[in-house]
Amino acid sequence: MLGALVCAVVGLLLAMIVTVLVHGWPSFSHNGLAWFGAGGDVDDQLNAISLSGQAGAEYIYTFHAWPLIWSTILITGGAVLIALFSALFVAVFIVEFAPEWMSNILQPVVRFLASVPSVIYGLIGVVVLVPFIGNNLVTEGQKASVAGVISLTGYSLLAAITVLTVMIAPLMVSIFSDGLRSVKPGWIEGSLALGVNRWRTTWKIVVRTARPAIVAGTVLAVARAIGEAVMLAMISGSVGFSPNPADGVIFIYEPSRPLAPTIVKNIDQLSSPPSNATLFAIASVLLFSAAFLSLTGWVARRSMRKYGAA
Amino acid sequence: MRIKSLAIAVIAFAGLAAPASAGAVTLIGSGSVAAQPVLQALFATYTKQVNHKVHFVYTANGGNAGVKDVQSGTSQFAGQARTPLPSDAGTTYIKAFMDGLCLDVNPKNKLSSISIQQTHDIYRGLLTNWSQVPGSGLETTIDPVGRDTNGGTYNFFLQAVLNNEAPATNVNALTADGLVVNAVKQDENAIGYAGLAWQGSKKLKALKVNGIPCEAKKISVEPLKYPLSRYLFIVLPGDGSTSPPALTKFIDWMRLSPLAGEVISKAGGVPAFNKKK
Repeated sequence: MLGALVCAVVGLLLAMIVTVLVHGWPSFSHNGLAWFGAGGDVDDQLNAISLSGQAGAEYIYTFHAWPLIWSTILITGGAVLIALFSALFVAVFIVEFAPEWMSNILQPVVRFLASVPSVIYGLIGVVVLVPFIGNNLVTEGQKASVAGVISLTGYSLLAAITVLTVMIAPLMVSIFSDGLRSVKPGWIEGSLALGVNRWRTTWKIVVRTARPAIVAGTVLAVARAIGEAVMLAMISGSVGFSPNPADGVIFIYEPSRPLAPTIVKNIDQLSSPPSNATLFAIASVLLFSAAFLSLTGWVARRSMRKYGAA
Repeated sequence: MRIKSLAIAVIAFAGLAAPASAGAVTLIGSGSVAAQPVLQALFATYTKQVNHKVHFVYTANGGNAGVKDVQSGTSQFAGQARTPLPSDAGTTYIKAFMDGLCLDVNPKNKLSSISIQQTHDIYRGLLTNWSQVPGSGLETTIDPVGRDTNGGTYNFFLQAVLNNEAPATNVNALTADGLVVNAVKQDENAIGYAGLAWQGSKKLKALKVNGIPCEAKKISVEPLKYPLSRYLFIVLPGDGSTSPPALTKFIDWMRLSPLAGEVISKAGGVPAFNKKK
């Protein structure tokens, strides 16, 4: 009975992966590796793809996703880096240094924050953060320097990374602190008894032993960040533009659109066969990166098993 | 034992979902978000004052999705804010009422009137500074705001203002009409477009378009005085003859009765064919 259930779940998963890949295949086969490259305006390409399906003429598939991929890398990477450092210190504080009454409050608060639906973060971003950046941080000179190409109105890398960090950090904190807590007390006591100070013990024994949990938490957070669609569709900006670090300070104010929000924003064009293939191709890239991530996480945890805990 | 109680729970839930009273008709629709406020008001009035036995369920999932629902038979009717496209084959469009698309700026902007040509140039990225638009009193970069391609408003704007040319890359395409209005309220350099139902806030200023104010009384069937007037449609499957009689009756009431006309104006639309009292 249970075995059949497990088989059904695995079968369903396989069927889903196959469906996504099969639907997306035409887009990959027409573009080859250039699919992942740069070239032309990605929004114009999406538009042409959609129109060619409605007109009933020969389908157009030309699509170069680099601006979307670059945006995903920047936003996810930025948020995960910031969240990793802050979450590690917060988790160490909660487990090792905070007085008991404080960790009793912090623990459920962090758990709650980790489960807040992303739309709520998106709303706060749209109502508070985006206008704040647009009206107070971006200067008229900066706006004028890119006028006609992009608008610096607050829908930006800065807004997206900030909100995404706030979204994934609690998830990391709660997994990290579980890992830190499961370190054998004997190891910590042994280190302290040898006269090693508390901070060094925490760093060298506790955090090191908990490394598998840190990897697991980070992998989960990256997966959530890559797949985040609704919140980013609301605040990352709506143009398929590649933010350029060479632009200086303006860089963090530049709008962009990652892969997952692109699916949300173009969902209406599913009825046009070439758009359908393109959106499913984007979906299979997301699916593949999720699978790749959990594989990396598994390999990393395996090689760290000798350190004990988890 | 557990499975049994689970089954009972499932059956109980199914019971909750069943229609509340016998003899009642529930009409299922979906589609345009722009038409939703007016349609909901019409549904409520119809059920309350005309026919208690007819109930409506309307999901505002966007005009294009609504038409698809009608084509696939999921919905009995759809609300739609754009004119028919070739991809809508197998459906009938019925003109229901009218709406005007207003061009809005922040009240801090002194501009009171704009031409279609100027709007076109702003959204095509040809005019990028308010100093290029006489009367604005601003010297700052324009922040044009619009809808993403999912919106019926976007399609209408594309046809009526942009001559079907794609908007420039500096136009911020947001996912909902409410977000467009919100963006204009919060940014004194912004310009955006939204239907009549969204107007009336002090934080939002509707511009005259080609000299004609964006008001309900300037929008009428013949002649089309306000340049950005549009029809909102009800979409039916096939040629409309297969629809249930309750639905056809409702549509006639909505299009012609004076009561429906009042409801439409109150909810922010403009009655097109309704008789006056």
